[in-house]
Amino acid sequence: MKSPTNPSGPPVAIKRGNEPPPTRRSFVTAAAAVVTGTIAVLTPLGVGVAAFLSPLFRKSQSPKVQVALLDQVPDDGQPRVFPVIADREDAWTRYPAQRIGAVYLIRNKGEAKPTAFTAKCPHAGCFIGYSSGNKLFKCPCHTSTFKVDGTRLRGDGEVAPRGMDPLPVEIRQEAAKDGKQLASVWVEFIDFRTGIKERIPAT
Amino acid sequence: MISFGRAVGDWLDHRAGIRKVLQAVLYEPIPGGSRWRYVWGSTLVMAFMTQVITGIFLWMAYSPSTQTAWESVFYIQYEMYGGWLLRGIHHFMAQAMVVLLAFHFLQVVWDGAYRAPRELNFVLGLILMLIVLGLALTGYLLPWDQKGYWATSVGTNLASQAPLAGPDIKKLAIGGSAYGHLTLTRFFALHAGVLPGLLVVFLTLHVALFRRHGIHARIPHRGVDQTFWPDQVLKDSVAALAVLAVVLGLAIHFHGAELTAPADPANPYDAARPEWYFLFLFQFLKWFPGEMEVWGAFIIPGVIVLVLFLMPWIGRTRTGHLINIGILCVLLGGAAALTAQALRDDYYALWNTKDDVLPKNSPVITGRYEASERFLNAKVEARREAERVIELARSPERIPPTGALTLAYEDAYIQGPKLFQRNCAGCHNHVAKSKVTEKLQGTEGEKDALLRSAGLNEIDVVNPAPTAPNLAGLGSLPWARAILNAGKIADADHFGYKGSPFADGEMVGFVKDNLASLKAGGDLETAVEEIAHALAAEAALPQDSKLAQTEFFKNSAAKGRQYISGGLAGLVETGTSCVDCHKFHDKGDLGSAPDLTGYMSREWLMAFIRNPADKRFYGDNNDRMPAFAPHDDPKLNQLDDKSLGMIVDWLRGDWKRPEAKTSAEPPVIAGPIETH
Repeated sequence: MKSPTNPSGPPVAIKRGNEPPPTRRSFVTAAAAVVTGTIAVLTPLGVGVAAFLSPLFRKSQSPKVQVALLDQVPDDGQPRVFPVIADREDAWTRYPAQRIGAVYLIRNKGEAKPTAFTAKCPHAGCFIGYSSGNKLFKCPCHTSTFKVDGTRLRGDGEVAPRGMDPLPVEIRQEAAKDGKQLASVWVEFIDFRTGIKERIPAT
Repeated sequence: MISFGRAVGDWLDHRAGIRKVLQAVLYEPIPGGSRWRYVWGSTLVMAFMTQVITGIFLWMAYSPSTQTAWESVFYIQYEMYGGWLLRGIHHFMAQAMVVLLAFHFLQVVWDGAYRAPRELNFVLGLILMLIVLGLALTGYLLPWDQKGYWATSVGTNLASQAPLAGPDIKKLAIGGSAYGHLTLTRFFALHAGVLPGLLVVFLTLHVALFRRHGIHARIPHRGVDQTFWPDQVLKDSVAALAVLAVVLGLAIHFHGAELTAPADPANPYDAARPEWYFLFLFQFLKWFPGEMEVWGAFIIPGVIVLVLFLMPWIGRTRTGHLINIGILCVLLGGAAALTAQALRDDYYALWNTKDDVLPKNSPVITGRYEASERFLNAKVEARREAERVIELARSPERIPPTGALTLAYEDAYIQGPKLFQRNCAGCHNHVAKSKVTEKLQGTEGEKDALLRSAGLNEIDVVNPAPTAPNLAGLGSLPWARAILNAGKIADADHFGYKGSPFADGEMVGFVKDNLASLKAGGDLETAVEEIAHALAAEAALPQDSKLAQTEFFKNSAAKGRQYISGGLAGLVETGTSCVDCHKFHDKGDLGSAPDLTGYMSREWLMAFIRNPADKRFYGDNNDRMPAFAPHDDPKLNQLDDKSLGMIVDWLRGDWKRPEAKTSAEPPVIAGPIETH
């Protein structure tokens, strides 16, 4: 059916209520219009969304890193902070030997292996500091406080949902150039999810 | 001319129907006439237009990646003609928008302008408000400076606690499991594309519905009915101009917007805070410990936003309307109180002294004081770093391709205090006693710049209970004088530190026996000063470089070298001189006391820190100081050569001094000022 036209002006619309009655053919046409139009619009959107979601399918791994020599951690129960140096990848850039975090190593009297805590606060990921004056770990952001053993000073009264996160420690023997054996401390630098009670690695 | 204009108008009207559109736009009736209280909506549109315009021009110079974001913002702020003003307007107009939004919202609720048939438009307005807050949040990160980076990372870490898909939401927002390039590209796409696009869509709907319903005129009408054009347009324009004037004033006063040091994932910024209008949320979270946090971060704010959305329906009755107003008062009062509390917590140490706080013996107050001290120190440190990186970036060497963070990483001035804190401050402290700072004029930043150019290290790294010497001023002329001063050599800053075996050692004994009472102007006093000059000449610190070029100093140091090499023996009662224990160039032997050849020079200090128990230094007399790099194999050393070099350079005040734009001569500071 040809639509009525006005030769000198815009097309004259069919008035409301004057539409032709629906037929089987007009339904199919309408359905086809909706389906093809939707596909035309949604395909690029879908491709875009898929690309946008790509971070969800990438898994990161926890590197094992040498953080100190055992000599640097005397068994005096004092926490000492050490940077964690490892290669870091950021999308298309690879940064060799970057500080990707920090760990506190503590070796109590008579212990062969130090305990390691990541300096990242389990609450929101700020860097926890250690004040030797009152022997407490303190987060500068929301003032969570931890004891030297990593537990929360005021338990559930702290903003942090759990104690500081311990990291697996390994002692490896290294041969120096002069042939001497030196013990070094390695940690598996796991990045834990913040803000929850459980320790779940963020992958 | 008029007829030509009319012809063009006719032509356009015939084809596009513009007269009808203009008529509809400009001749909106305003019952009761134009009023100042109707300006808020229009000022918001103007503010948004300002953001679009300044945003597009900023976009032309901005580059979102971790090596270019800070760098391009630095370029805008410091190098582009008028760039600072452009950035300043964008920065402060964003804040003005939040304030205007609050006014607009308050007025709508107060006037009950949300009632039928305007409920839907109220909802659209709230959506617009959330979009504006989203723009503020995403924009804060884009300069990729320490402040934006750490504040936003706290925010996105919170997002990961959202119920259900929290961790996935965080990953999608930041484009991976850690902050990086993709965080910037995503935030930028949101900030400059998605959110403004949505804002335009919702703003169009908002204005269209506003026109459909007409203005919610305040009863009783004050005057005769008018139309939007020209009376209300004039009032709106005056208000818009007033907003712009305030924004311009702020932008000029602050010379653009703050740019802190480049974001460093390895160097946390303890003073990371959100923008002031989000501060109440930041403070609110502190009330929800542990797993309760989901209440503070999501559930309660979520319920509040939901209540806001329901206001038109709550306010259908007069009581309901009063309830709405009550809710608003509580919310605003609460936000104001929380903001005040957040500020009090942060600046507590500035407004109270330690002496006021400690006697209270309250762990809460002491804790607050300490947290505030950390916050304030972090701010000073961050300011210093930012100014230094900017100084380096503006030098002729510019920023390397790896980005401005490299400037910070390679710089002894910035890395020195951090490395000292980590490696040395367990025993030593570094507290400058001369305080040249206090004698200088200008802002803190200008004072720091002067000290930097003079090679004076007055950056304190405090160890409250040191068990080793205070290393501030190491190797300088005042230092050499102090070592030769009977009253100072055995004080806590030098050989008299806690637990020192040297406090009654041979050196202290020699100085106390021979140099305790010097006759003013006598031969021995002159000799001591000349020895100090000779030692300072061995160290050759940059801070003494001007002095060292003078004939007076050269002659004096030459005589001093004679005294060290044996000449002193003839002047002192014990009949001994320096080379009886020390080695000095070709005189004396190693083994009983540190070598004085090149004393406190870069090479000497590096070798000393590598292994202080070496024969060249303290040998068997070494007091507890560890050997930081005794091995040839760097893997086995506590300190790598680069860090070692930076500690030494920092201690010696021997950092890079950009030659560019030295407007003032650095002050010559030598002679009268005592470090210890």
